[in-house]
Amino acid sequence: MDVGFSMSNSAPGEEPPFELAKKVIQKFVQRQVFAETKDELALVLFGTDSTKNSLDKDDQYQNITVHRHLMVPDFELLEEIENQIHPESQQADWLDALVVCMDLLQTETKEKKCDRLNIVLLTDLNTEANSEQLDVIIENLKKAGITLQFFLPFPVGDDEEGGGDADGRDPSQPGTGKGLSKEQKSGLDMVKHIMLSLDEEDGLGEIYSFSKAIEQLCMFKRIEKRPMAWPCQLTIGSCLPIRIVGYKAVTEEKLKKTWTTVDAQTNQKDDVKRETVYCLDDDNETEVQKDDTIQGFRYGSDIVPFSKVDQDQMKYKHDGKVLLGCTWHLKQISDEVQRHQFMGTQVIKIFSAKDDEHAGVALSALIRALDELNMVAIVRYAYDRRSNPQVGAAFPCIKQDYECLMYVQLPFMEDLRQFTFPSLANNKKFTPSDTQLSAVDSLIDSMMLVEGDDQKDMFKVHHIPNPAFQRHFQCLHHRAVSPGTPLPPMEPWLKTALERPDVISERCHVPLEEIKRKFPLTEVEKKKKLKTSAQIFGKDSEEPDAKKEKGDEEEEYSLADIAEGSVTSVRIRGQLTRRIEQLLSNKNTHYYMKSITCIQAFREQSVKLGDANLYNGYLQSLKRSIPNRGLEVFWNLLVQDAITLISKDEVEGSTVSKNEANQFLVSEEKKEEASTPQAEDTGDVDDLLDMM
Amino acid sequence: SISMPQQYCSLSLVGDYKTTGRDSLVFLVDASKEMFIKGEDGEPSNFDMTMQVVRSVYTSKIINSHRDLVALVFYGTEQSKNPRNSFKHVYVYHDLDEPGAKRVQDVDALRGGKGAQLAAKTMGSGETSLGDALWCCANLYSDIKLRLSQKRLMIFTCRDEPHGGDSVKDRQARTKASDLKETGVTIDLMHLMKPGGFNVASFFRDIVSPPEDESELGLQLEPCVKLEDLQKRVRAKEQRKRAMARLNLCLGEGINVAVGIYATAVTARKQAPVRLYRETNEPVRSKTRTFHTQTGSLLLPSEIKKAQVYSKKQIVMEKDEVDAIKKFDDPGMFLIGFKPMEKLKRHHHIRPAVFLYPEEDEVKGSACLFSALLTKCSERNVFALCRCIARRNYPPRFVALVPQKEEVDEGKVQITPPGFNVIYLPFADDIRTLDPPQCPVASQIQVDKMKEIVSKLRFKYRSDAFENPVIQQHYRNLEALALDMMAPEDMEDLIMPKVDQIDGRLGPLVEEFKDLVYPFNYNPDSKPAAKQRDDVTRKKPKVEMPEEELRAHMQNGTLGKLTVAVLKEACKQFGVRTTGTKKQELIDALTERLGS
Repeated sequence: MDVGFSMSNSAPGEEPPFELAKKVIQKFVQRQVFAETKDELALVLFGTDSTKNSLDKDDQYQNITVHRHLMVPDFELLEEIENQIHPESQQADWLDALVVCMDLLQTETKEKKCDRLNIVLLTDLNTEANSEQLDVIIENLKKAGITLQFFLPFPVGDDEEGGGDADGRDPSQPGTGKGLSKEQKSGLDMVKHIMLSLDEEDGLGEIYSFSKAIEQLCMFKRIEKRPMAWPCQLTIGSCLPIRIVGYKAVTEEKLKKTWTTVDAQTNQKDDVKRETVYCLDDDNETEVQKDDTIQGFRYGSDIVPFSKVDQDQMKYKHDGKVLLGCTWHLKQISDEVQRHQFMGTQVIKIFSAKDDEHAGVALSALIRALDELNMVAIVRYAYDRRSNPQVGAAFPCIKQDYECLMYVQLPFMEDLRQFTFPSLANNKKFTPSDTQLSAVDSLIDSMMLVEGDDQKDMFKVHHIPNPAFQRHFQCLHHRAVSPGTPLPPMEPWLKTALERPDVISERCHVPLEEIKRKFPLTEVEKKKKLKTSAQIFGKDSEEPDAKKEKGDEEEEYSLADIAEGSVTSVRIRGQLTRRIEQLLSNKNTHYYMKSITCIQAFREQSVKLGDANLYNGYLQSLKRSIPNRGLEVFWNLLVQDAITLISKDEVEGSTVSKNEANQFLVSEEKKEEASTPQAEDTGDVDDLLDMM
Repeated sequence: SISMPQQYCSLSLVGDYKTTGRDSLVFLVDASKEMFIKGEDGEPSNFDMTMQVVRSVYTSKIINSHRDLVALVFYGTEQSKNPRNSFKHVYVYHDLDEPGAKRVQDVDALRGGKGAQLAAKTMGSGETSLGDALWCCANLYSDIKLRLSQKRLMIFTCRDEPHGGDSVKDRQARTKASDLKETGVTIDLMHLMKPGGFNVASFFRDIVSPPEDESELGLQLEPCVKLEDLQKRVRAKEQRKRAMARLNLCLGEGINVAVGIYATAVTARKQAPVRLYRETNEPVRSKTRTFHTQTGSLLLPSEIKKAQVYSKKQIVMEKDEVDAIKKFDDPGMFLIGFKPMEKLKRHHHIRPAVFLYPEEDEVKGSACLFSALLTKCSERNVFALCRCIARRNYPPRFVALVPQKEEVDEGKVQITPPGFNVIYLPFADDIRTLDPPQCPVASQIQVDKMKEIVSKLRFKYRSDAFENPVIQQHYRNLEALALDMMAPEDMEDLIMPKVDQIDGRLGPLVEEFKDLVYPFNYNPDSKPAAKQRDDVTRKKPKVEMPEEELRAHMQNGTLGKLTVAVLKEACKQFGVRTTGTKKQELIDALTERLGS
């Protein structure tokens, strides 16, 4: 990274290149740290006031500092970047810096086995570089197999196909050649020369602008781990096998780590224990040992005991001999296999086996035959003998520099739900008029996300990093380096990246107003009522909570019933307590859970109305009645949910302090700890409803 | 004209999915002599066909929604059997209950020639009073104490004038039908083939529930002749639409179209096992509790926090913070713009699609604007790009709304509903970098030979043509165990290529192609096998690792460089018990042991 003095120059109101470059590096290191990759990284600064590098000799390679040698990035590095890297006042030849990096890579990887060597240069190219050694450098780069990426404060021309940097979404950036200094212009020529010498086709695609680099994952893509090869055979009929190898090409990436539970006081994982116990569905909830339970399955109303051993013995087995068999039935691509029928969570690209040119020819013949006939192959896919087989489609895919089959899973009969919906076109009530249709037409015109004759895509979703990851890393990073401070707000660039592009917003303003006039939309009153009741119960039933998915037919006690209509304080709360009592008369966890929902609603409503007394009074008398009514189990559930008295902190008029409110639950808890149950574990929200 | 009304359960009943009661379905089947007449060429009788459909509904309910209630009632029988035996010629074969193995067997007994004999023996055919039959069904419903969210009754018959013109009986049937409909029961007619055609207008038009969308579409439905048609019609009615979420599709400030998201294809999985008490085989419930290891006291949510460890550093957050990180905005869809269809890449696939349909009952005017968008997107061959937050605390995803026009088959049954398919789009992280290997290209002669092969194997794909063998086998096993059968029913593995047929069709083409591409003696199995053996022998001795080396790796945070096999061995070595097989789990377990 160039930290020389010109990197601090910027037009008023703009961030200096130094800050942007630092952000790029931070983003990158942050991601590496959280991905816990084994990739190693060194940081070389140039333009530094001091000099520290192994080539430093007789005035050569001055003002270049190896800040960190090659090692796995960690939080220390992140902290160093944050606190120790500042703009400095010298300038250094960026080609010299490149040579220092090459030397570092060569000496420090000698003992190691590395798949990939990459140098990333962040500079504004504002120092004159000595081009004498240019060809020697290029030769050495090639020889060592080192790839290069350049990050500059300005974009490099329009022709950026390969790098996919072609969004054209930052009109504020000066174009090539405009506003560049003499040094920058000649520097840029050298950069282009180097990149094209290394890679004739895509070389220029690896030159990025700082702002793009922050928004996209340019740097990661290059060094990213390549997917694992999956070797197997594709067989047509019984005697035409082709050796192939598959790679996961697209799949929904998940965060690798999950949260563990720790004690709030000690932050120790070991202080918290989770235990699952089994109990009979009787009045006493008699506990039984896990060893005294067996496995069974439902078959409708029957429950069939079915041990693991039996299950394994009787389960569907496939031969496993041919891993990917092929039902070679084929059909018109666009017609029958439709995009929305794709199942599964991945796309696999299939090539012929390495080092087997015969397989290569055979697969190529197949790919081209399918392509020329406009057909796809329907195949049976089995990853290995243990995994469940699938049925899927293999599409031919012919690109300029490679060809392959693309495999996607298709549905089984059991997966499909053939819903019918009322016709829209045949319903006169919903048929839009011609003027309405033309309003939609103009809206579409104004909101097309492509521009120019070549229909350039202005909003490429697959260039946006997953915002959930970005936010997650940002917050973890923050908490790691500044513990004890609140989490930071979302980064502005991330928010912007998820928004409608400004150009579109401007263009569609008028057509949207027209839509508003032409299509009256009125929220149905009924909904409001439902909303009120939903609010009472603390959950907005408009968007079913992932946790609530375990459908429960006894929802007839659905509390919505009582709270229908407008909600007025005391009356409703009176109804709630009556309902709670009614529910508690059924000694069953199901009903207990429902009463807890009611109590929660009661509490929330009371807090909202700023009146704690009714609720606190009720809860206190409820607590007193617990021993007599044998409601210990219920009480413990309440404790688990930490539903306590309303304290002064929440409602001013309350006579209960926060401490008292907490104590309220705790004292009772100690007596009963052993038999305290908790609601059945519903798993993590994330596990459920993956499809959403 | 003939009427076959289309019912749509959820459109008008906004609230019904929230009050999740059980769905119920009564099969009311005509058992008159006409139903048992076999078709020409030994085609199954209408009765036989109906029983097959009933069976398939039973088994599919067992797999997909075993809590639904199903009943099977015959009318026009000689014998009578109903709860209070107050109705003549009505035979309740199964009252409203969850279907189970025994019931499947009962229905099986009524299939085929033997089934017809059994039906004749136990029930016989006699007088018909549809009014009594409907009344009896009404009693079945009122005897149920559970809350029912959907009540549906399907009449299977091939007689358009069941009372032979007896106007008193006709009137009584109409009255009972309207009583039933008033209590929220939807009545469908599955009319079957009858010589001379089935005239729905003469009698059944007033029995069945009116079509909800007021379209004329339903009126032209032909009676079912084929089993598949009947199956399709029954399934379309029987499957309950539940919106996974109801959201606003926001086009711009103040322009919110209410939409429902429906899952039209969900990967069916084997059910999760139930734990049973060994002594009694009764199900047990599991309870999980969190307590303090030292004090043994239960931990309140306020007494626990969440943590992750990265490069030896523990990062701690409050539970609320963990949720807050995931929250970007409230649930909803926000229109970004439109793109031509060709910008939707086929390989940009990360999840099964879902389906979008307007919710007129939430926001009036939604259906009209939705319909206009659908028409125009489809006409101009564009899709809408939206940002979508499907649920609270879900991070955003971008989706493509792809227009889908309504399609009906010759029988006027809807094949594809009108609406948008919602295609989830990958982010940059979801796309993996590949270095495509250099592969040779086939010559045109070789390609042409393959084209001959490919053309021979052409067939028409139907998405419902393949059953999942894993699930089918599982349920057949359960069925066998539940019914004490000697062995599970045989299953045809539909996804196994029919190799013999293929070989037969291809004939000499395979050898001809091989001659063109493979050298003499080419053995596709040999190479990988040899290589694999090498790998094994090479890897084995390296599995164990000295403690110092392991500690060094841990200190440097480079445990990740070791293979899973080495890590597992190391776990054993240090007595670390771990259930995990994932690399990260092993590393975490080791770090914990060695670090302390």
